Amino acid sequence: MAIRINLGYIDELNKYGAEDVQLCYQCGDCSTVCVHSDDIFNFPRKSMRRLQMGLERKIETTLEPWLCYYCGQCSDQCPREADPGETMMSLRRWLIARYDFTGIASRFFRSSATEVIAILAVALITGLFLFIYGKAGGSISIYDGEGAFLPSSFIHFFDLAIGSVLAVFLLINAYRMWHLTMNKGVSVRISPWLYLKHIFTFPLHFFTQKRYAQCESKNRNFIFMPWITHLGLMLGYVTMLVLVMVFIEELQHGPEIIWQVHLFAYAASLGLIIGTIYFIRSRLRKTAYVQFKKSHSTDWVFVILLFLIVITGIGQHILHRTGYYEAANITYILHLMCVVPWLLRMPFSKWAHLLYRPLAMYFAAIQKDALKKQLRLSEDHMITVK
Amino acid sequence: MRTGIFFCQVDENTLINTDAVAKYAANLQGVELVRILGLRPRLDAENLSTLIQSKALDRIIIAGDMPGYYKPVFTKAMAQAGGDPAEVRLASFREHGAQGEQALDRAKATVACASMAVPFSLVATPRRNPVHHATLVIGGGIAGIQASLEIANAGKHVYLVEQTGTIGGHMAMFDKTFPTLDCAACILTPKMVSVGQHDMIHLLTNSKVTEVSGKPGAYRVKIRQRARRVDVNACVACNLCSEVCPVKVESAFDSGISLRKAIYIPFPQAVPNAYLIDEESCTYVLSEGQKCGVCVKKCPKECINLDEPDTDTDLEVGNIIIATGYELLDVGKIEQYGYGKYPNVLTSLEFERLTNASGTTGGRIVTKTKQFNKKTQKDEWIFSKDGVPPRSVAIIHCVGSRNKKYNAYCSRVCCMYSLKFAHLIREKIPNVKCYEFYIDMRAFGKGYEEFAERIRHEGTFVVRGHTTKVEMKHEQMSVRGEDIMNDRIVEFPVDMVVLAVGLVPSAETENLSRILGISRDPDGWFSELDYNGNPTDTERGGIYVAGMCQGPKDIPDTVAQASAVAAGVLRSITSGRGIGHMDSVPLSEIEARAKILQTI
Repeated sequence: MAIRINLGYIDELNKYGAEDVQLCYQCGDCSTVCVHSDDIFNFPRKSMRRLQMGLERKIETTLEPWLCYYCGQCSDQCPREADPGETMMSLRRWLIARYDFTGIASRFFRSSATEVIAILAVALITGLFLFIYGKAGGSISIYDGEGAFLPSSFIHFFDLAIGSVLAVFLLINAYRMWHLTMNKGVSVRISPWLYLKHIFTFPLHFFTQKRYAQCESKNRNFIFMPWITHLGLMLGYVTMLVLVMVFIEELQHGPEIIWQVHLFAYAASLGLIIGTIYFIRSRLRKTAYVQFKKSHSTDWVFVILLFLIVITGIGQHILHRTGYYEAANITYILHLMCVVPWLLRMPFSKWAHLLYRPLAMYFAAIQKDALKKQLRLSEDHMITVK
Repeated sequence: MRTGIFFCQVDENTLINTDAVAKYAANLQGVELVRILGLRPRLDAENLSTLIQSKALDRIIIAGDMPGYYKPVFTKAMAQAGGDPAEVRLASFREHGAQGEQALDRAKATVACASMAVPFSLVATPRRNPVHHATLVIGGGIAGIQASLEIANAGKHVYLVEQTGTIGGHMAMFDKTFPTLDCAACILTPKMVSVGQHDMIHLLTNSKVTEVSGKPGAYRVKIRQRARRVDVNACVACNLCSEVCPVKVESAFDSGISLRKAIYIPFPQAVPNAYLIDEESCTYVLSEGQKCGVCVKKCPKECINLDEPDTDTDLEVGNIIIATGYELLDVGKIEQYGYGKYPNVLTSLEFERLTNASGTTGGRIVTKTKQFNKKTQKDEWIFSKDGVPPRSVAIIHCVGSRNKKYNAYCSRVCCMYSLKFAHLIREKIPNVKCYEFYIDMRAFGKGYEEFAERIRHEGTFVVRGHTTKVEMKHEQMSVRGEDIMNDRIVEFPVDMVVLAVGLVPSAETENLSRILGISRDPDGWFSELDYNGNPTDTERGGIYVAGMCQGPKDIPDTVAQASAVAAGVLRSITSGRGIGHMDSVPLSEIEARAKILQTI
């Protein structure tokens, strides 16, 4: 089989953030320092090599970029300062773009201006639409109940509509990911039994991100801060997403607080606010870990937009409970102006790793099982020289 | 002759003020036209030929750094204008040494010579000045020894200054040399002995150069000789003093893997073969004569004088050879290999001393054993003769070399000595597993590739792929690496790890470069005059570099360079002029000489 080589691949990756790949001289230090690298999924050195050789078709079918959580140890000790950690990050960005069939993701990753303009446009359209809709059906000084500016039933419908658009895109992209990695990328036949056997890997990695916790093998600190905040942020986010999609009517109801729902909302908000502030601060200071040293434009959009969503969300809640209905309504519109572009952007942005990463862990577990049976790896890794 | 001068630069040169040179050139005889074309001009032969024709020029001078680059265009233009293409002449600044303080004068001189059609090198020969026949060699390693012997055998005096108590340097520490696996001591010690016995070599051990003044051919050197406190001529190295000495310190010669006394001889074959006192640990010296002094009473030859003062010596020499060698990089700052944390992680020099037949274990390769130190009340790990040989050894290449954080350069010898280690380990311990982790195998010399091939075939596991992890798991060290050729992540249990540590210039290099006025390259090695053409000369005439202090090199290269240096020294003595110090010739003299040559 002929191997297709894309000579411009390394330059293309440059736009996704990997700048120093060409410096790598293949010593393998990065692969040995990485706790996640093993015989079957061996990275980052191998990915660096494939990049240098322009093996685009090979990289698009691998799961390795998703198995990396970017603790930055590889970049820390790289003798050539070729930044393998950032390369893996860039490959993840590139893969998100590759899985996306619309081509929007690659446009966003390569041009920050396009992304910002798109976000602003969607935000303005949303704001305008909601304002006109609110004016037509109710009064700005009523928050909920009869004649409300933005009635919760409407918001519920609105959320579900956007959510289903999002789900369609995501599912198609996830299917493409499966096709590339599990169909094209594996030489052995994978029995459906294996899919069933490892099904628990997906929720396990989704909810615990335990591989991220393993990243801190050097024990610089007792708890690996990026992991715990990342986990808090993610759990908060998912909780909030479920609340908004399913329990929005209870959530928006006021002025009394429905504790069964609001308790979750408060906990989620806490996780989100701490997470976003931690990541923004780290990215600004560039000190703590290597992973914060380089920030792609999409990373900034991600944290800042999320931060705005959390702030406006909390703001409208407080204003509503304290009786400033007009201000609450306006803040709510601002909140939705952030939320809608955020949600619509999800399948085309960094956010998609929420789905892809645990999915990749699941696929990786299946692949490993299938390959191990085939290779029958010997217990002692003896290398014969002759 | 109607002359036109064109200044053009191929790259930025901040040393030379082109305007000043142009102003000077305009006043030269016969100069009709001076043009400054600037940095990397795009020249057109047509335009130039019209210019040449309009000014009726019959000589063109292209001045600048690497002006030859533009010669074809001017030759073409000259031919088109009907002139003589042979009259397109070059005045190259940098190639004729227009650097440093004299840069401007030198540039002017090259232009002046070109305008008179006199080759610069014919004119700018340094003035004859009487060269003192004695030579100073700084550093008594193999480079210093070789250079001293070459010069002394030619019948000239040599002062060999060595910082430690014996000559021999690092080579004396080695067991075998690569790729021939000859015994290093068998090559070195005869040379050391002949240095010690040579009539023309004055050996100054325990000494340092503190001051250098004068000019090429006549340097005045101040040397501070620390008191040896033992009479070199009387001492018979009977070891009685050392037996009674109560002080124990780490032996520098043994890379710290064994202990020696405060009165000691670095190794039995030392030259001069006499004991010496270590001032930094001797109880008598430290207490200023209040305590101890048992060795004096014990000495049968009565040759110990603990109150001997340091001495200063003034020398007059014609040439100076620097052969100060190297040190190992401080490997403690590279954490991931566990050096200093795990007992059986060794540097290359420590292993070299361990495997040496004259070493502390008599050449047996063993792992360290735990021993209780009564003085400090702590367990410590030491090499002892009844230690257990390791079952498996990992050798890690490129520790601190080719690494942007430590040494960006390749230390050149590590690959080969690591392969040598693998051979020695497999030779001495039956059924041992030996792993080499390398990035690129740099077997560059004569017979080296064959040696590498041989080691592979002997059964050493040579792993293409570096490692960063040396860990301790349940009392067992393990090394994790990537075997790139076999596409595996490997993890080997090992009992000993040898680090092929990168090389850095020796500590005194910086100080010496200040004393001698010799520049160093960004990595700290002494700069030679020209890497290809003049690898032994420095920018200061009469001062030469030999061996590792100029850059990492192996023993054959070091010996070759040392001999080459001797040739340079002898050349300067026989010709009666110091080499490469044309700075002493002023511009006016060059002009005058050129005028004379022009008329001939």
